[in-house]
Amino acid sequence: MQLLDYIPFLVEGVPWTLALVFSGLTMGFSLGLPLSLIEAFGSRGAKLVVDAYVWFLRGTPLLVLLSLLYWGIFPSLGIKVSPFIASIVALGLRSSAYQSQIFRSALLSIESGQLLAARAMGMRDSQVVMHVLVPQALRIALPSWSNEYAIMLKDSSICFTLGVMEILTRAKYISTATGSALFPFLIAGLLYLALTRAGVEAIELLHRKVRIPGTLGGE
Amino acid sequence: MLRIEGLRKSYNGMEVLKGVHLELREGETKVLMGPSGAGKSTLLKCVNLLVRPDEGRIFIDGEEVTSPKVDVVRVRQKVGFVFQEFNLFNHLTVLRNVTIGLTKVKGMSKEEALRRAREVLEAVRIGEELWGRYPAQLSGGQKQRVAIARALAMDPVLMLYDEPTSALDPQLSKEVLEVMKELSRKGVTSLVVTHELDFAMEVANSLAVMSCGLIVEEGPPSEVIRNPRSSEARRLFCRV
Repeated sequence: MQLLDYIPFLVEGVPWTLALVFSGLTMGFSLGLPLSLIEAFGSRGAKLVVDAYVWFLRGTPLLVLLSLLYWGIFPSLGIKVSPFIASIVALGLRSSAYQSQIFRSALLSIESGQLLAARAMGMRDSQVVMHVLVPQALRIALPSWSNEYAIMLKDSSICFTLGVMEILTRAKYISTATGSALFPFLIAGLLYLALTRAGVEAIELLHRKVRIPGTLGGE
Repeated sequence: MLRIEGLRKSYNGMEVLKGVHLELREGETKVLMGPSGAGKSTLLKCVNLLVRPDEGRIFIDGEEVTSPKVDVVRVRQKVGFVFQEFNLFNHLTVLRNVTIGLTKVKGMSKEEALRRAREVLEAVRIGEELWGRYPAQLSGGQKQRVAIARALAMDPVLMLYDEPTSALDPQLSKEVLEVMKELSRKGVTSLVVTHELDFAMEVANSLAVMSCGLIVEEGPPSEVIRNPRSSEARRLFCRV
């Protein structure tokens, strides 16, 4: 087989990589947003718990977290998960810690007067969060969130250690099969570059569409 | 309409309100004046229950709103609040700023809310060409008039204004004051913290002077301004 014949096999890793990234980002978002609300407006005790969670996940290398979950925590709890699911959980947990910080900064940048005005008109706290805080925080956080996408995309390559059939795992197979490292890893690198660029551009496009007119960066 | 009895409030051991008594009848406009730190803003926030008083009672429309059994959210819907810094929702257009309370808090249908928003925006002289703009695209005077419309839309029994023109230049202040005067003349019950003597003289039924957490003088605006009896009021009006 020629080296070029392996390209389709390598490209087939793209959906796997994207599945890891989007699932990880979704899980990170679902956990990170509530955590950011606790960090910004929660009680002292709740903030301490979230701080400890964020401190642990931001301070632990992803590879360690992945191994800990797949080889340690899941088996000890008697839960059998596939390498793909374990990877998503690791990526998602780690991302939730980072996303919580992105959204926390965005929430705190909203003038407190708006909260006061919302309460003054009779909104309940849940309504203030849903109709005033979150819609603005998401818009403000979008540029920083595109970094999270780029980081997650590159970090997803670590999942090759569990044999998830994403881009890097496939590049490694080709390298072993052909004895050539340059070509498969070069193509893998180019695929990551293209995916990063496309994703960041898409988020930038979304940002331009939803940003608040008249404010910084708006029209 | 509004009766305040012996209201006290402290922050970190510092007493900001020291037993305030105040009464406002339906359709009246009362102006509250006093130096910075007198407790005027805290008093307004207590009336709207944005701040919980430590002691004392507040009655709105005969209902004791300081009672622990009272639903705070329901009381706030009855009392419109206009802030010095406008506090419009930046992500919403002028129209949505006015309708959001109607749809989300009052549970009105979109059509009903739009009809009500139309009425109040016209009342504060915000033309249709501005309805699709965002707060950052408005002048200070326009923002404050939208904020008044937003409060007014909820059909409050009482309007509270906390220095609504302090952040505006004289020309923009004039626009806002004109709207407030018109509302007062229409009989919207209002408690207004302001330093605008003309406003007090023209439309207020009474003027109260606050100093160090107490109301030290109260009466018809022309009398209090021209012949202040208390030393605090004399100091205030000499400076103004």
